Amino acid sequence: MTKEEEILQNLSDAVQSFDSDAAIDAAKASVEAKISPVKAIEEGLAKGLRVVGDKFEAGELWLPHLVLGAEALEAAVKVLEGHMAIEDLESTNRGTIVIGTVEGDIHDLGLRIVASMLRANGFRVYDIGCDARTLNFIEKAKEVKADIIAASSLMTTTMPFMKDLVEALETAGIRDQYKVMVGGGPVTEEWAKAIGVDGYGKDAAEAVRVAKELVKK
Amino acid sequence: MAAPSLWEVLDRACNTGPVMATKDFDMKIFSVATRLTKEYDIKYDPKTPVTIDDSLADDAWNAGLQLFTEVGAYCMNSSRVIKFDESEIKQGLKELRGEAIIGEGSERRILKLRKVEDNSPPSIVCGGVIESNFPEGENFVKLYQSIAQEPLIDGFYVGPPLQSSEGRLVRSGTPLETHLGRSMVSWVREAIRRAGRPGLHFISACTSAIANIAAADPNEGLRRSDGIVSTIMPELKTDYENLNKIVYSHDYGCIKHVYNGGMIGGWAGGPEGALIVSIANAIMAVIVYQMSVGASYHALGYLRASTPNYSAFVTRPCLWGSSIGSQALSRNTKIINTAVAMTNAGPGTEMQFQEIVAAICASIPCGREGLSQGARRFKVVPLLGSGLENRFWGEVGHAMSKVKRDFANSLAEEMLQKFEHRITRESDGGPLGHTLDEIYDLKTLQPRKRFLDVYEGVKKELEDLGLEF
Repeated sequence: MTKEEEILQNLSDAVQSFDSDAAIDAAKASVEAKISPVKAIEEGLAKGLRVVGDKFEAGELWLPHLVLGAEALEAAVKVLEGHMAIEDLESTNRGTIVIGTVEGDIHDLGLRIVASMLRANGFRVYDIGCDARTLNFIEKAKEVKADIIAASSLMTTTMPFMKDLVEALETAGIRDQYKVMVGGGPVTEEWAKAIGVDGYGKDAAEAVRVAKELVKK
Repeated sequence: MAAPSLWEVLDRACNTGPVMATKDFDMKIFSVATRLTKEYDIKYDPKTPVTIDDSLADDAWNAGLQLFTEVGAYCMNSSRVIKFDESEIKQGLKELRGEAIIGEGSERRILKLRKVEDNSPPSIVCGGVIESNFPEGENFVKLYQSIAQEPLIDGFYVGPPLQSSEGRLVRSGTPLETHLGRSMVSWVREAIRRAGRPGLHFISACTSAIANIAAADPNEGLRRSDGIVSTIMPELKTDYENLNKIVYSHDYGCIKHVYNGGMIGGWAGGPEGALIVSIANAIMAVIVYQMSVGASYHALGYLRASTPNYSAFVTRPCLWGSSIGSQALSRNTKIINTAVAMTNAGPGTEMQFQEIVAAICASIPCGREGLSQGARRFKVVPLLGSGLENRFWGEVGHAMSKVKRDFANSLAEEMLQKFEHRITRESDGGPLGHTLDEIYDLKTLQPRKRFLDVYEGVKKELEDLGLEF
């Protein structure tokens, strides 16, 4: 194993062991060894977080592991970003997503899982939490120049707020600036089609797959 | 020392508890739960869906108690931690009475604490249809009439399944839901009147507190012998809506029904963490929601938060947690604990009946007082629910009160082998099932023959396996 391969492995291992201090140390070593920061992120840190995501999917790891793994990644990226151009940093972002649970709905667990899985797959995720007003989704999307707005609902009585989101984007004349995707326990593909969104994920894994498709378009 | 009063609890929740970021509270739960599962050597055993190990149940209880003592509860609106010292918690648990009176007149029932392998008959507080977009009006009345006319049913859960109020779309927390709360209860009163059981107990589960409060009326609305459902959010969390429901139930004097669903794969971690967190959630119900004051009962559920099915209650790890959690609470507290198990499959299917049997195996022989909820949770369509599955909960619930845990374990295993391979992402957890108008002839309100044949077929299978009806 070359020195570079060893450092990339250390970055990946630090994320997989949820160790922010080790991730920072490995990032510093990467800078000293003059490894491209983009390579350190994509072939080290992000690779490690994808392994965590896959293990979550397989039922071997749990939501807190996704959160801790993402924290380790973010701690290391802070070290690396001082040594890379903004455009290089942007190139490591697969897409920017604003995500939240719609108004009137305080179920946040599925939201956190999907947000974490999206992060694990290279998306920059802005989680606006549960009981999020329609206009808050839109304001945040404008602020962070989002590619995708993702809304979840766990109750049939809050699903109509998803329709509001689409209508509010249309009313503001900015519907074509964002892809909209929905999901959550009672939400179906038929509902997603009926309200005119661009994507539907029945669970976290599918949400990631759909988000990847949407940013390609 | 006396247990803290509701007003003291509210003061801590709203004014004086230490402020903490939600994420820090969630991660503290994970960290403490992970440590405690190791300290108590609690390990998930997929080969034993129903445990007969008393010491495991006691270890789980002690770990849950320690978790609640260390972590406390969390109010999502104020971001305050609601903490209690050990003596306050112990006193609160000591004040539980192990009894709750529900219903009125000839439908009056006494829910009593059942011991593990207690052969006294359970109470069947069943239900209800969750998230099925039932249309308002006559079909809604017929749904609950079909449940209330089942003689083994002692009460039921209602809502929030309605999609409209006065023909207008209902959104959670809006004024139309407030109006619907009252309408829904009126229709339920009509359903139980038609079934000849006007005093039958039910619990109202509208999302907003105001919708439940609007329904309260000792004559034509939600009576004091009925109840309001409050929820403990995963994990160890509450909010002002739920606290408002508790305050109102306390002042009005109706039954408090507290639902707690420990999430496998969420902040608690795996099945072991979810087990002890759900026990801590139950202790939170006693202390924060004041289950020792007035009449109350509790429903303990287990959900799997990760794939393949977000909301599946009846999976192998959920049954394992349910069986131990049931025994832990029955052996160590006077909490009246009912089962809650929303199935993967929909009504009128063999798989839903098999899931109900498995859920009961982990409940009734394990010291739960009764049962509640049997409806599919995931990807539903309108009118999905009927009295037939409630009849099944009742018949199997009573039959299972006569069996020991080792039999329940082998029966649960038999059932799991029949259906667990069908819980897939592709199937949305299992077959969708059939709607009320498919299962019942709505003129006579009796189940159609083809569904009765499925019902009797599963019963015969259970008899062949040694279950006596």
